[in-house]
Amino acid sequence: MTLQTLLLIGLIVFSALALLSRDLIKAAISFAAASLFLGIVFFRMGAPYAGVFEISVVAGLITVLFILAVALTEKKAEVRESPKARLIFPLFFIVFIIIDVLVMRGLIRKIPTLPAEAETGLFGQVLWGQRTFDLVGQVAVILAGVFAVLALFRKKDLDD
Amino acid sequence: MTETWYLYMFFAAALVAVGLYALLTMRNIIRLLIAVGIIGKGISLALLASGWAQNLLLTAQSLVITFIVVEVCLVAVALALAINAYRHTKDLDVRKLTRLKG
Amino acid sequence: METTLIVFFLVLPLALAAVLPLLGRLSKRVLPDILANAVFFVLVVNAFVLGRRIPAGEPLILQASWFGEPLGLRMAVDNFSLFLLLAVALVSLCVGLYSISYMEHFGSKPAYYALLLIMVAGMNGLILSTDLFGIYVFLEVAAVASYALVAFGLGRDEVEAAFKYLMLSVAASAFILISIAVIFFMTGSLALSDVARSLAAMDAGPVVAVCSALFLMGFGLKAALIPFHAWLPDAHPSAPAPISAMLSGLLIKVSGVYAMTRIFFHVFGLTPALSMVLMILGSVSIVLAAFLALGQKDLKRMLAYSSISQVGYVVLGLGLGTPLGIIGGLFHLFNHALAKGLLFLNSGSIQSAAGTRNLDEMAGLARRMPVTAVTSLVGSLSIAGVPPLNGFWSKLIIIIALVQAGQGGFALIAVLASILTLWYYLLFQRKAFFGKPEERWKDIREAPFWMTASTVVLALLCIGVGIFFSPVVAAWIEPAAGVLGKGIQFVLGAWGL
Repeated sequence: MTLQTLLLIGLIVFSALALLSRDLIKAAISFAAASLFLGIVFFRMGAPYAGVFEISVVAGLITVLFILAVALTEKKAEVRESPKARLIFPLFFIVFIIIDVLVMRGLIRKIPTLPAEAETGLFGQVLWGQRTFDLVGQVAVILAGVFAVLALFRKKDLDD
Repeated sequence: MTETWYLYMFFAAALVAVGLYALLTMRNIIRLLIAVGIIGKGISLALLASGWAQNLLLTAQSLVITFIVVEVCLVAVALALAINAYRHTKDLDVRKLTRLKG
Repeated sequence: METTLIVFFLVLPLALAAVLPLLGRLSKRVLPDILANAVFFVLVVNAFVLGRRIPAGEPLILQASWFGEPLGLRMAVDNFSLFLLLAVALVSLCVGLYSISYMEHFGSKPAYYALLLIMVAGMNGLILSTDLFGIYVFLEVAAVASYALVAFGLGRDEVEAAFKYLMLSVAASAFILISIAVIFFMTGSLALSDVARSLAAMDAGPVVAVCSALFLMGFGLKAALIPFHAWLPDAHPSAPAPISAMLSGLLIKVSGVYAMTRIFFHVFGLTPALSMVLMILGSVSIVLAAFLALGQKDLKRMLAYSSISQVGYVVLGLGLGTPLGIIGGLFHLFNHALAKGLLFLNSGSIQSAAGTRNLDEMAGLARRMPVTAVTSLVGSLSIAGVPPLNGFWSKLIIIIALVQAGQGGFALIAVLASILTLWYYLLFQRKAFFGKPEERWKDIREAPFWMTASTVVLALLCIGVGIFFSPVVAAWIEPAAGVLGKGIQFVLGAWGL
């Protein structure tokens, strides 16, 4: 369990770095590192498919998209965050953790649970057999994303 | 089981909170998108941890994968919008996008 | 047989959207226009046909299977969802017809119609879903399509509004998903009926309250209830007019009010505390947004604030939770979808003819644009609640329900705010259409055929529903309210299988 906790701490440290580092390329790389940590956490929870997806898609694809966007918008687009936001950040975080430990811990202990029926079969069977509706949704959301990007990058003056 | 679930939920909530904070206070558009990604991490962790605590890992993995697909589409559209905004303002500062007044 | 009809709502728009950009290479305008509107028309007919087949108070469940094995593809239609499917189909048909002329100068019509169809498919999928996570996924489908549609003009304001809209929607999704994860942990299931059964069996009051609060924030953001409204007055006016009509008329209601109502009534059960919170949120939205609308110079911003205010009426009626209150809320939802769709389409006609949305610059357009003037008068009076138009009856029902339930204070707020509504709509009418036309509006002509035709259809619907309100309420609204009134028992009994 301690290793898992360490991994989770690494996850949150790199997430914070991704938000706080000045250089956007470094921020994107920290984001990828955070994804890597999360992927390993997923593996260790016994969820290899989610882990692979997290590492390949989020750490890979989304980071590439971020770096692409940074490259497309050139270097001079460096924007300083307001110093206030950076200063309040650790304060906010500490307050959040105190609330989390004091309030949520007590609340969460009280959550009743009903044990679910154990699931059987392979991952593919569960995804295809029980979450088919989500797959339809995935197709729809991918179509929406593709057409949205096409529409946003169309050349307006060349039309018709 | 609940204790470990709490551990995961603690980190998930922290990720979501940090992401939301950044979403509200940060100025650089690309960094706002990174904040969206971090909120997404917190949510995938929460979904998977809930399934794990119920011994429903296969279902939970299906949910996480669907969620990641949705998130990729969302980030792609958001980046397309960000690059469009950059073409108009030649700047990535979200404060420059203040023509509309809430 | 009937179950095949259910599939059409989701598959038809999605399938056409997938092939439309390819077909668009053959014909850039005519083919997308005809096909997209044909699909919307089929959906309207489909809703009516399904309405005759569906037994009152019973859901129709589609369980797909693959070589005899049941799949996790389950969709349900009951009177509540059917009524929303009809509203979605009707408004999207009018919007589709309007777009034939309006979207000419935006270019790339195939992509536009593809996104519009995906948005409709997303809303229909959300309505048909029997599963918490399915609701989220299709909510996101409709949302992703709507970001691109808001920014479709690619101008600075459009992109800015779409970006802000996207950021706030991410926050909304985060609240919704965290709540779903907690429910998944508690009950081990996501299907609405299973979750409702498990929650009823266990003593989980405080946790359900926390989940309700999270859902309220998430769906409240989607429905743009005050104080979660900040994105709407930017996003809705910046979009092209037909998209504003879709967003204000349908999207905030389907992905906000419908999803919230389905979960609160059929999964959690409406507790008195929750009912009170909904009523307070509703009446705060009614009053504040009405005052904000009063101060607007921009026609579309005024309409956007008015949407927030009218959604407040819907939530107030639904939150009351008595049978009459639910009928009033649902009826007002339907009427507002028609009337606000009509008004946003009219604002598009005005903008494309006069080139401005500023109310102070307009004057005397009635002589130049008679059809637009008459239809927007119908829409304004309907929303303001003037008899015998449809908006009057729904507001009246809500107010009677409030008085009957002994909530005189809320009833008073509703009455006073509707006077305020009438005031700002009359102000809009006077500024835009009456008075002496300025010299520069001399060459303005009435909007093209399809634009006027679709506004006329919507105006006739407003008048027709107003005059024949009692058969409409009896046929569509009462069964829907009956389904909601049964509370979680409905889902447990009929959806359980």
